[in-house]
Amino acid sequence: MSKNIRIGVYVCHCGLNIAGVVNVKDAVNYAVSLSGVVIAKDHRYACSDLGQALIKKDIIDYHLDRIVIASCSPRMHESTFRKVLEAADLNPYMLDMVNIREQCSWVHIGEPEKATEKAKDLIRMAVVRSKLLEPLTIKEVKVLRSVLIIGGGIAGMNAALDLANIGFKVYLVEKSETIGGQMTKLDKTFPTMDCSICVEGPKMVDVFRHPNIKVFSMAEVVSMGGFVGNFTVKVKNNPRYVIPENCTGCGECAEACPVEYPNRWEMRLGTRRAISVPFPQVVPLLYTLNKDHCIECYKCVDVCGERRAIDFKQETEEVELNVGAIIVAIGYDFFDPSTLKEYGYGSYRNVISSIEMERLLNAAGPTRGKLFRISDGKFPKRIGFIQCVGSRDERIGQIYCSNACCLNSIKLAIQIKEKHPESEVYIFYNDIRAFGKGFEEVYRKARESWITFVRGIPPEIKEDNTTENLKILVHDQCLGKLVEFEVDLVTLAIGMVPQDSARPLSKVLHIPIDSDGFFLEAHSKIRPVDTHTAGIFLAGTCQGPKNIHESVSQGKAAASSVAALLSKGEIRIESTIAHLDQDLCIGCDLCKEACPYDAVRTENGKSFIMDVLCRGCGVCASSCPEHAITMKHFTDEEVLAQVITAFQG
Amino acid sequence: MSQKIRSLSVNEPLKSTQLDPKFKYEVAKEPGGEGLGYCFQCGKCTATCPIRRVESIYKPRQILRAALLGLREIVLSSDVIWLCATCFSCTERCPQGVKLADVMRAIRNIAVREGYIHPFFQAQGKMISEIGRIFEDDEFINEQRADLGLPPVPIVNLEEFKKILDSTKIKELLASKGSK
Ligand SMILES: Cc1cc2nc3c(=O)[nH]c(=O)nc-3n(C[C@H](O)[C@H](O)[C@H](O)COP(=O)(O)OP(=O)(O)OC[C@H]3O[C@@H](n4cnc5c(N)ncnc54)[C@H](O)[C@@H]3O)c2cc1C
Ligand code: SF4
Ligand code: SF4
Repeated sequence: MSKNIRIGVYVCHCGLNIAGVVNVKDAVNYAVSLSGVVIAKDHRYACSDLGQALIKKDIIDYHLDRIVIASCSPRMHESTFRKVLEAADLNPYMLDMVNIREQCSWVHIGEPEKATEKAKDLIRMAVVRSKLLEPLTIKEVKVLRSVLIIGGGIAGMNAALDLANIGFKVYLVEKSETIGGQMTKLDKTFPTMDCSICVEGPKMVDVFRHPNIKVFSMAEVVSMGGFVGNFTVKVKNNPRYVIPENCTGCGECAEACPVEYPNRWEMRLGTRRAISVPFPQVVPLLYTLNKDHCIECYKCVDVCGERRAIDFKQETEEVELNVGAIIVAIGYDFFDPSTLKEYGYGSYRNVISSIEMERLLNAAGPTRGKLFRISDGKFPKRIGFIQCVGSRDERIGQIYCSNACCLNSIKLAIQIKEKHPESEVYIFYNDIRAFGKGFEEVYRKARESWITFVRGIPPEIKEDNTTENLKILVHDQCLGKLVEFEVDLVTLAIGMVPQDSARPLSKVLHIPIDSDGFFLEAHSKIRPVDTHTAGIFLAGTCQGPKNIHESVSQGKAAASSVAALLSKGEIRIESTIAHLDQDLCIGCDLCKEACPYDAVRTENGKSFIMDVLCRGCGVCASSCPEHAITMKHFTDEEVLAQVITAFQG
Repeated sequence: MSQKIRSLSVNEPLKSTQLDPKFKYEVAKEPGGEGLGYCFQCGKCTATCPIRRVESIYKPRQILRAALLGLREIVLSSDVIWLCATCFSCTERCPQGVKLADVMRAIRNIAVREGYIHPFFQAQGKMISEIGRIFEDDEFINEQRADLGLPPVPIVNLEEFKKILDSTKIKELLASKGSK
């Protein structure tokens, strides 16, 4: 066997990342001595142009048929080196990568000798395995020129518009009654202080009217199958008991409706009718009847009359969509400050959240933009903002910074001072994070407007029983003293938390979420909008807290990634998948139950694997009692050969 | 100056009744005090201040902090605002353009109007109004000056000088209570 086998081994220095610990020359000398190895070389940066050219030339010059590269993680550069093999007319799967950086030099910094021995062992294991490698056929599939976007906030809408403008068919699935997301609740937006709905409203309309975009509101994704380029998605349309084609948006029904219930858009500050819109600029402009609150008096049906837009019998509908790619943009939710008992949110009437302050300052809000205290309707002359509520707090497992609350409180404080120069505004903070373009200027403007910044986070708020004023004792770190402030109103700068639906959706789409509960990107720096599943991308705050401009940038980035993927018309799919030998299959179905991607099917009492659905995770292979399933590129023989040589030395 | 210098004397916890939020506007209105609000408490001024190196109680950053919070009486009556030597190191280094030496002068001017002058400056003022100098001239100084090739200290025309002084109302100012 070994006489046809011609292996080339390349040991990378990775600058000093590897060579600073591992004796690279020693490893190369060792590699040459191994059976089957024709040539072994080291290189300062194997992944560089020069490194790639060298490997390619050697493959041709020395008729190499297997390549072992000892460098970084395959996650970094496996695809880079596979392309080198292809360029030299070698099947790209005749490559094995040995990770002697993350798994060797980086973790054994203090032990260069042992690290070198380990590197040699790893190289020997790869050489042994490489002898068993087999060429795999490369498959290409056609891709659909349509895209599903889940979540119609500012991130999802921007992605939708860009893709629709290129000419892709876009399905935008939005869970709530309207697109627009959390921005529809904001008054002004930092750093430019422009009115939120004025910037966003026209975009919402553009999305809805775009001939290439179909918006599903009150809808959710319930299942997903298929693979990159060819996903099949089921969308459930929840009933709003109003027929879109017949509703003119006149609002007469809401005027007739006698029932009111809390309006989620106004937080604790406003109500809406059982049939209504949450705010005037909703898109689509359709009224929604809430059966949980409706008393079935049918007054709305009477006023709607001939238009016949109200349909009490409307049912949930399911539609199936076929799309080439998916963008997840389901955004964030507000942290619930009542979980932090020390601040009395929910029991002290004059403690509100920042999003409630946002509504109080909004001319279209519940008070028509008038700022007053809930307890007595008086104007609050002294207002305190407490930062990092629900953020950077290990006690409640919220370890991250929520990104927008510093600038948001500063924004609200400036608005208050501009309208009411006689007021005194205090911001209790620990760090002011004004990191974005134009942010520091807003922070400076706040000081120019005489907002008092107090470095120190109050441990609790106490309420004066008679006045309902609030006492805040804080250690002013800059003064080095304890100071007790009395204010008329407190605003808690609440952070961002993942959407409740993030976890269930992650299961439907088979994409992971991170330890904070946000969707996990493939690489935080160089693949920030990709997931580990080809064809599924992320945008906006569902991936982690962001401000608007970052959310928009991600929406546009995800759109460009989708366009790059689908424009080619055809894409290559991974060949390292499971192979099932039906002669050995006893039809026990254990593999079918184990497969997380629904790739195992049964026919005539025997299982078979749908190549395009298989992601090569290997769960089926380890569950099969008959060893009927082989993982291509990771066969039992290959793995066992490595284990044996590891222990035999 | 043998007397012990006291820092901003503050009994904790400070109550909101001790805070006068208007004080910051008052300082900002006083010529030189305009930049107070821009201070973001980085502490470069304190670290660069040559007075701070010999007198650890002097913390210019903390004085601005107290002024911003509105500790009006405590700031105006303190010794520390008189320690600034107006060397302008802080003004040179401040990243926010606060012009701290000017702010400190503005604070002192308010303090004087409120009747707070440090005893040391009171003594100096008394000396000036009596002899027209902040120190008595003696033969020794003139001998030293002669060695350096300088003319003797000129004689002050006390009559004329006092006229000027009277128009500055220094007497009334010196009659005030002095810093606590
Ligand atoms: C109090 C506060 C004030 C802020 N002020 C500013 C500011 O002034 N300037 C600034 O730049 N940033 C500000 N931000 C940040 C800003 O709100 C966000 O950056 C931005 O709204 C995020 O947009 P998004 O599209 O990622 O998410 P979202 O706006 O949350 O949109 C997500 C959309 O997805 C929908 N959805 C959720 N789950 C599902 C599901 N399972 N299926 C389908 N659809 C779903 C939601 O209904 C929503 O419409 C503020 C944040 C807070 C907390
Ligand atoms: S943005 Fe500011 S307030 Fe919000 S969590 Fe981060 S540091 Fe705290
Ligand atoms: S250097 Fe300027 S900004 Fe920094 S503490 Fe001093 S006065 Fe404030």
